[in-house]
Amino acid sequence: MNNKKPKGSYMIEEERKPSMVSPIVAAILSAIVPGLGQILARAYKRGIVLFASFITIAGLLIWRVIATAKYDVGFFNKLTKSFRLEPMILILVILVFILWIWTISDAYKHAAQEDHITLGVLFLVIVIFFFLGWQIGGIAPAELISNIPDSAPLLGQVLWPWDAAIHYPKEIVTTAIEIQIPCTDELPVSEIPDEGSYISADPLCGELAELGGQPGSSIQIHGYGLIPNLETELWWKDQLSNDFRQRQGGEYITVITDENGDFEIEIFMPYALIPAGHLAQGYVIWEFQTRQIASVGEWTYSDELKLTTEKMIETIFIGMMATFFGIILAIPVSFLAARNLMSANGFTIAIYYFVRTILNIIRSIEPLIWALIFVIVVGLGPFAGIMALTVHSIAALGKLYSESIESIDSGQIEAIQATGANWVQTVMFAVVPQIIPPFVSFTIYRWDINIRMSTIVGMVGGGGIGFLLVQWIRLFEYRAAGLAVWFITVTVALLDYVSAEIRKNYV
Amino acid sequence: MLEIRNLTKVYDDGTVALKNVSFTVAEGEFLIIIGLSGSGKSTLLRCINRLIDPTEGEILWNGVDIVKLEGDDLRKARRKIGMIFQHFNLIKRSSVLNNVLAGRLGYTSSKQSLFGRFSKKDIERAYKSMERLGITDQAKKRADELSGGQQQRVGIARALMQEPELILADEPVASLDPVLAHSILHRLETLNKEDNLTIICSLHYLDLVQKYSTRVIGLSYGEIVYEGSQKDIQAMTDEQFKEIYGEEAIRVGGGLEGDLTQVEGGAA
Repeated sequence: MNNKKPKGSYMIEEERKPSMVSPIVAAILSAIVPGLGQILARAYKRGIVLFASFITIAGLLIWRVIATAKYDVGFFNKLTKSFRLEPMILILVILVFILWIWTISDAYKHAAQEDHITLGVLFLVIVIFFFLGWQIGGIAPAELISNIPDSAPLLGQVLWPWDAAIHYPKEIVTTAIEIQIPCTDELPVSEIPDEGSYISADPLCGELAELGGQPGSSIQIHGYGLIPNLETELWWKDQLSNDFRQRQGGEYITVITDENGDFEIEIFMPYALIPAGHLAQGYVIWEFQTRQIASVGEWTYSDELKLTTEKMIETIFIGMMATFFGIILAIPVSFLAARNLMSANGFTIAIYYFVRTILNIIRSIEPLIWALIFVIVVGLGPFAGIMALTVHSIAALGKLYSESIESIDSGQIEAIQATGANWVQTVMFAVVPQIIPPFVSFTIYRWDINIRMSTIVGMVGGGGIGFLLVQWIRLFEYRAAGLAVWFITVTVALLDYVSAEIRKNYV
Repeated sequence: MLEIRNLTKVYDDGTVALKNVSFTVAEGEFLIIIGLSGSGKSTLLRCINRLIDPTEGEILWNGVDIVKLEGDDLRKARRKIGMIFQHFNLIKRSSVLNNVLAGRLGYTSSKQSLFGRFSKKDIERAYKSMERLGITDQAKKRADELSGGQQQRVGIARALMQEPELILADEPVASLDPVLAHSILHRLETLNKEDNLTIICSLHYLDLVQKYSTRVIGLSYGEIVYEGSQKDIQAMTDEQFKEIYGEEAIRVGGGLEGDLTQVEGGAA
C-alpha cells in the first residue's frame, strides 16, 4: 500500500492514488473514528479492517469489564474494580490504547505516503484478540499445578479404582460399657469378661456438660481386645436409646486400635439431650460404645463392577446394532448417492444431488445432538443411543460406500461381460469383489467409531456406560467412575486393535 | 468368418466413433488395426462383441448378425469371442486361478456362479490354460501381485478358457515394455498359428504390426483409410503412414531394421 517498501517487505508494489485529506486531518479523524483516516487516505481495506477490529475489541472489552465487576455502579468504578480482579483487563486496556495511538500514526503516515511497516498494527490487533481470548477463556495454567493437592487423591481414585470392584460384607461390631449420670454413691459394677473385647472406664460415672455452662466431666476410657489396627467410632446411647456420636471440639472423634486391639482415650461427657430435672431415679444409665466396621465372610464383586460390566456390554451392543442398521440402510442409499450409477438422466441426477445433500446435512450434525433429539422422541435408554448412531452411520457409510461404488473399475465389468457372463455372474465376479473390501473396511471402521461414540451418547441419556459414568462423576463416586473409565479405555483400545487388524488383512 | 458391413457408432454426446466401416476377416487371420488414439479402434473391437452397441450396420459372424442378438444368444456368441485388454482388466483382488476360471462363466450356470463354483473339468482346463502360458506357479496369487506381463498372460489364459474362435485384443501391449510386448504378441501369434484362432488386434507400434500381422487396417477418425497385407505394410510409404497417423507423425524405425529377434516370455 505504500510506495516504497521497506527492506524485507514482500508485498507487491502497487500504484496508489494520493490521499483525499491531509495527514493531520487523517490522524485526527482516525483518533475520533479509528480507521476513518485510513479510508480517506484511500487505504480502504485497511481502514475497514481497523474500524471493524476496534468496534469488536471495544465491544468485547466493555462486556468483560461489566461481567467482571457485576455489582459496581458507574463504569469507572467497574473499570477500576475489574483491573483489580482481572489484571489481564488492565493489560488489554493498555494494548487498546497503544493500538489507538498506532492507528492515528498509521493514518498520518498513510495520508503522507510515508514508509512504515504495514503489518505491525494488524499484528497488534491479533495480539489483542489473543489476550481477549485468554481472558474470556479463563485460561489459568497455574491451576494445572496449584490444584494438584486437591485433585491428586481424586485422580488417584480414578486411575486405580479397583477397590470399588470388590465388595466385602461389613458388620458393625459394638463393645459397650454403662456410665452412670450423674455420679452417686452406688456406682454400676463393670465385669471383666474372660475372653473377648471389653471397655473399662474410670470413673464409671460422669457429669453432663451444660449448655453455655460448665463442661462435662472427663472419663478415661480403655479398650481391650477389639479388632486391631482399625478406625473405631465412639458413640453414646442415652436412656431413651438415642444414638449419637461423641464430639470433641465440635468434631466427631475416632480412635485407632493398636496391634492388640487396645486403645486409650480421655473423653468429656457430652451435653444432656434431656434436662436433668426429668430424672426419675436421681440418675440415669447411658451406654458408651465403640463401633468398628469389620469385614465378615468372603469378598464378592461389587455392584459397581457388575453394573459397569452390564453397561459396557450394553454399550458394545448399542454400537453394534447401530452399525447393523447403518449398513442395511446405507447400502441402498449409497447406490442413490453414486454419481456413476445416477448420471443416466436429469431425474436421476436430481435424486443424486438430493440424497447427497441430505447425507451431508445429517453427517454435519453430531451424534451427540442426534442422541438428544432421540431421547426426546423415544425417551432415555439404549434405543435412543442406537437411533442416534444409526442415523449418523447411514450418512457416513452412505457417503463412503457411494464413493467406493464410484471408484469401481468398469474395465473389470467389461472383461467379465466379454466372457459371455450374464448379469448375476457379472455382479458376482466383477462388481462384488471390487466393492466388498472397501465396504468391509469402512464398516469395521464405522463399528469402531460407533462403539466409541456410544459411550458419549450415553452421557446425554442414550443408554450404555456413558450414562453411568456421568452419574458417578456427579455423585463424586470417583472410584466407580474410574472403573467405567478403565472399561471404556480397554474396550475401545481392544476394538481399535481388532478393527485395524481385520482391515489390514482384508484390504 | 466375420463380415462387418457399414458399421457406424455415434455416442450419446454426438461423437462419431465409427463411420460406415466395412471389412471382412477370414478364418485364421491375424488382423491388426492401427490408428491414433481416438480413431475408433477400441469402439470397433467392442462393437464386435457388443460391449458397445453400434448405431448402424451389421456384424455377420458365421452368418449370424451379432448386432441383432439379445440375451442368451448374445452371451453364447460372446463366449466364442475372447477379449484381452490394454489394462488387462483382471479382477485384481481375486486369485489368478479365479481370474482364469472367469473365462468359463459363459458355460456356467448362475446358481453355481453365486457361490463361485466351477466344475472339476473347468478347473483342469484352467490349469492347462495356465500351463500353456507359463503362469501355473502364480495360480494362488492375487492377480494384482503379478507383473504387467504376467497379468496379460492371465488375460490370455482367461480368453482361452472360452474356447474362442476369435480373439479381440485391444492394444494388448500398450501398457508393457517393448520386450514384453514381443513376448505377448508372440504368444498370440502362436495361438493364431497352432490353434488356427482368428485374431483382431489393435496396436500402436508399426514394427510390431509389420512383424505379426497377416493383414492391416488403418483407422482415422472412424473411417478405414488403409487396408493392406503384411507385405503392403512393410512397403508402406510415408504418405500412407501420415494418412493414418496425421501430418505431424514421424516414422520411427520404419521397416524391419532393428533387432526384432523374438524374446521368449522369461522376462514377463
